[in-house]
Amino acid sequence: MYHNDDDEALGADVDDQDEDDQGDDNMTGDSPPKKSKPSRRDTVVDEEEDEGEDDEDEEDEEDEEDEDEAPGRKGKKRAKHRHKRMGASRFLDIEAEVSDEDDEDEEDEEYGVDTFITTADDVDDDLTRRNHALLDSSRHFEEEDARSPEEIAKAVARRHRDRAAPYTGDMNEIPQRLLMPSVHDASLWQVRVKPGRERDIVFSLMRKAIDVEYSARPLNILSAFQRDSLPGMIYVEARSAKQVQEACTGLVGVYPSRGIQLVPIEEMASLLQIKRQETTLTPGTWVRIRRGKYSGDLAQVVDLTENGEDVGLRLIPRIDMNPRDDGSLDPNAKKRKKIALGAGSSRPPQRLFNYEEILKVYGRKNVTKRNQAYVFQNETYKDGFLEKDFKASALIGEDVNPTLDEITQFTRRQDGGDDNVVNLSVIAEASRKAAIAVLQPGDHIEVFEGEQAGVHGVVDEIAGDVVTITAKGLELEGQKMEMPARSVRKRFKPGDHVKVMAGQNADETGLVVSVSDNVVTFVSDMSMQEISVFSKDLREAAEVGSGTNIVGNYELYDLVQLDAQTVGVIYKTERDSFRVLDQNGQVRLVQPHQISMRRDSSKAIATDSEGHELRVNDNVKEIDGEGRKGRVLHTHQAFFAFLHNRDITENSGVFVTRTRSLASLAPKSNIIKVGADLSKMNPALVAPTGGMVGSGNMGRGPRDRHIGATVTVIKGPHKGYVGTIKDTNGPIARVELRTGNKVIMVDKEKLYRRLPDGKLEPLDKGGRGPPGGNGMSSYQTGGPGFGGNASGGRTPYNASRTPNPYAGDSRTPAWNASSRTPNPYADSRTPAWNASSRTPNPYAAADGGRTPAWNVSSRTPNPYATGANAGAAPGTGWGGATPGRNAASSWGGATPGRSSAAASTAGGWGSTAGGWSSPRPPANNAWTAPAEPPTNAWDIPPGGWGSASAPTPAAATPAAVSRDTPYFSAMTPAANGRTPAGVWSHGTARDPVATPGVFGGDHQEDSTDDGWLFDPAFAKYITRFLVEIEGTRPEQYLDGEYEGKTGRILAAQENPQVYEQTARVRFDNDDQRSIPTKYIVRRLPTFIGQEVLVLRGNKKGQPLVVREDPSDDDKFLTLSTKAQPTVVDKWSTKTVILLHDDASGP
Amino acid sequence: MAAIPPQARSKTLRACLLCSIIQLPNEFKRSGCPNCEEILQMKGSPDRIQGCTTTQFDGVIAVIDPDASWVARWQRTSKYVRGMYAVRVTGRIPEDVEMELERRNIKYRPRDQSDQD
Repeated sequence: MYHNDDDEALGADVDDQDEDDQGDDNMTGDSPPKKSKPSRRDTVVDEEEDEGEDDEDEEDEEDEEDEDEAPGRKGKKRAKHRHKRMGASRFLDIEAEVSDEDDEDEEDEEYGVDTFITTADDVDDDLTRRNHALLDSSRHFEEEDARSPEEIAKAVARRHRDRAAPYTGDMNEIPQRLLMPSVHDASLWQVRVKPGRERDIVFSLMRKAIDVEYSARPLNILSAFQRDSLPGMIYVEARSAKQVQEACTGLVGVYPSRGIQLVPIEEMASLLQIKRQETTLTPGTWVRIRRGKYSGDLAQVVDLTENGEDVGLRLIPRIDMNPRDDGSLDPNAKKRKKIALGAGSSRPPQRLFNYEEILKVYGRKNVTKRNQAYVFQNETYKDGFLEKDFKASALIGEDVNPTLDEITQFTRRQDGGDDNVVNLSVIAEASRKAAIAVLQPGDHIEVFEGEQAGVHGVVDEIAGDVVTITAKGLELEGQKMEMPARSVRKRFKPGDHVKVMAGQNADETGLVVSVSDNVVTFVSDMSMQEISVFSKDLREAAEVGSGTNIVGNYELYDLVQLDAQTVGVIYKTERDSFRVLDQNGQVRLVQPHQISMRRDSSKAIATDSEGHELRVNDNVKEIDGEGRKGRVLHTHQAFFAFLHNRDITENSGVFVTRTRSLASLAPKSNIIKVGADLSKMNPALVAPTGGMVGSGNMGRGPRDRHIGATVTVIKGPHKGYVGTIKDTNGPIARVELRTGNKVIMVDKEKLYRRLPDGKLEPLDKGGRGPPGGNGMSSYQTGGPGFGGNASGGRTPYNASRTPNPYAGDSRTPAWNASSRTPNPYADSRTPAWNASSRTPNPYAAADGGRTPAWNVSSRTPNPYATGANAGAAPGTGWGGATPGRNAASSWGGATPGRSSAAASTAGGWGSTAGGWSSPRPPANNAWTAPAEPPTNAWDIPPGGWGSASAPTPAAATPAAVSRDTPYFSAMTPAANGRTPAGVWSHGTARDPVATPGVFGGDHQEDSTDDGWLFDPAFAKYITRFLVEIEGTRPEQYLDGEYEGKTGRILAAQENPQVYEQTARVRFDNDDQRSIPTKYIVRRLPTFIGQEVLVLRGNKKGQPLVVREDPSDDDKFLTLSTKAQPTVVDKWSTKTVILLHDDASGP
Repeated sequence: MAAIPPQARSKTLRACLLCSIIQLPNEFKRSGCPNCEEILQMKGSPDRIQGCTTTQFDGVIAVIDPDASWVARWQRTSKYVRGMYAVRVTGRIPEDVEMELERRNIKYRPRDQSDQD
């Protein structure tokens, strides 16, 4: 049923049209709603249905009755508001010109059951009434139409006047939640606009809507709004995005192209509910001035106007005490004065108003005194403060965070004088709010106001503004109580060690000396000065000023470059600066930006007065002058040493001295040598000092071991690029890219070492992955030392050596010497080595040519050829050696290739040979290249060799490491072997060195040689293999628990290469366990009659029996088959494994 | 239809504390509040305007079709004239107005969104 509710629908704002509308409607009777505003009308109907107001019908009827009884606009206007009123009165039209009885009747009707149209009569009645209404109103309009336009206009005007209808508070009764949007409501669309123009655009939309209202294309949007807290967007209420689009076209600053987004219905209400955190200003509140001369200044609210728009503030004036323009002194020249002020380049400093001073500068005329206050330049000054009214919008009320200093400035005056006593109540108030935010469970607090004032305790939990505390103290001990957070404050007592968490003194630490309310005074650990801070900014802390030891990238005791000539050591850090003692003994205060870089002297070497090496962290003593002792912090240019001694108070114990006037405090009595420097160069000479080398030589080498490494960038914009490290500084490396000839700075962490085969591994990894490791190592020092290391077990040396291969050429022998020197070679080895070196046996064997294997390797041209080929282009560097190397490493057994090599006997040997030969050239190179004539090295009999390999021993590395030695030595001989016949003929002493022994050693000791475990050829015997666990200690594998244990292999299954190869071992104590094969080494026979299995050579896979006491010769075994005990043969110990003499075995 | 202030950025824009309509002060002075003049009686009275309107408001709504608009309904302005309304107005109407509303049994809803039910 159609309601004749035009007026209601259209609202009062379309008055001009109303009459026409009405007329139309009357003409058409019950015809459908007028088309002029269809959408709108529909909406109204919708809306009313949505609200499900039961009295809808009644109301409408009522409307009509009103019309019946009181034709005219008034009734309708009133009807519009009616349903909003309280209780029964909402149904009363108190303004209507109708009798009360009628209303009562209606009321009865409405409350009666008869309200609903249930009978035809009702309907009839209804229709009748409706007709009446229509007739009546048509009559009415006919009347009106008969009037002259003037009259109509008057009527309209009258209506307008009448519009000041009683305020009825319309919808105020409806709870907000019932106003939530429904699906029938138009949607909200978010439109991007130019930030700052939101409000203008909303206004523009409104104006536009009005402008085009009666045009052919009216805007179809219902509303638009903007929130100050949502910059850059407005929201438009419309039924479709298209309508929004249309509305927005032609408006400047609207970006409909950036998307007109639908606001989900559940978020619509929240958009209008956004509430800015309002800071209510009350007298006493601290605020800051937003802009102008006092921008940023703290001010205190003195009074407020009722509506809160104007705020009277008290603040510290900024009066220009040096007015530029003399004219400004003239009170009449106000204009000019203003200009002068405005043009002031910098604003005058904060200063309390001083009558006398102002008089002096501006003259008496400019200042007048009224009551307690002075008026100067139209501003009022009281007690030295400026009192001025500001607009609330010109103030910042949030995050004011007044500092103690600022507040003190205010309070000082208020206390009526110059005493510096801090007005605690003011400060407390100011800091209280913030204090709530900084409480944490566990904080010691005390209650300072309210009933529980004086109670102290520990914070248990914090919920909003309520803290739960466990009280401490006499009778309240242990009680939990809840407190408003603003009534508690952190509690400190003298003697507490505290740290400042926030503010100007952040990170200071110190001992509390006094506490007064919430201002805590402590003595700083750093500056030894008293510092007062709010307790809210403090926290108990045990640390001592650690927070300030690092400023920027620099740290306490760093050696830093100040300028091209000057370096210094930071001996003290302050808040944003350092105290630096430079090499000339001068103290400087330095800002971080004045430091050009940090120097690393950990690798620097200097010599002390006795010619000993002086290194960082050595404890030394001055031999002249004051005789100060100290620990070396840094050395500079081998001449200056920065020492540190806690007992010296000056410069925090840091002092600078000359290295030549220092003597080591540590006894180094066993050092016999002269010219330490020379010895460094000469590997041969280094040897005798073996005892010392372990510590001394380590530092030699390139400044950074990564320099020269070929790397791939794995992260960042240069990811994937390959380059060479040219330089390093701390964690940053300068990498020269292969592409583009460009040098970039990259974090070392983003660099991976690129192996020749293209594989990547972490820069610091060294020879960790077996293949990589071995490969690398073999490159390195001609294989030797390195290989040893690699298999030996990833000692740090390994890593340190890593880069060498690539920089092979640059290695001086000294380096090599040192590189080899290190610990890998254990004491235990040395003798063995020596023994072998002295023992002619191996050679005898070789001479005898009885060992085919040996012969093959040493004599066969093929291996040589390959070796030569591989390594013969020595100039090309180690790269050229690669294939051979790999072969060599296959001896090492770590490479996968190895097993295959082993599989085919000859091949295995061949490859060995390759290994043999390949190292040679490099070895040769290495030895010949150096300034130190290689011949020297060679000439030095075994000892010399010993030095190369033997220094090692001193370092006494764990057994596992020692394992490698042989490998190394194995290579060494290669060098020898290579050296022409002369060498061979050089005398037995040396030859042995060259050594098969070594060779044997290699095999025998090669712990990573896991190929034999998986060789199908040995499958029958595998369970009889007797093995020992070695090398777990350095890597802490299972805490080294199994180190040295012996047992038998239970099973070995070769895994895909990505996994670690393991074998199941049954130990002698019947313990079983899977052990990585790299830790499993073969056991060798120890007495005659033991059975061994040949792992290589022409009798591979055959069990043989030991025929001679193996202890005679640890390199070769005399073996024969069981069947033919007389046919003995020599076998390298490398090629056999001890078998369990288990009858059950195969 | 309320007067639409010509200058959106004007700092002098004032919002009615009762109905939240935004107008320029002199508009209030000339014709009062288009919605609640009857009770506020600001017309021609700058003092009254000071008391019953404020510049402290947040968010501006262009109410183009008050009856159909949900926004207007939510803001309880759907029975008011078209015009610019504030989303939120800080402050309360003067006490006498509040008394009058109470007398008329009209629930006063401050426009500062302090009570949401």
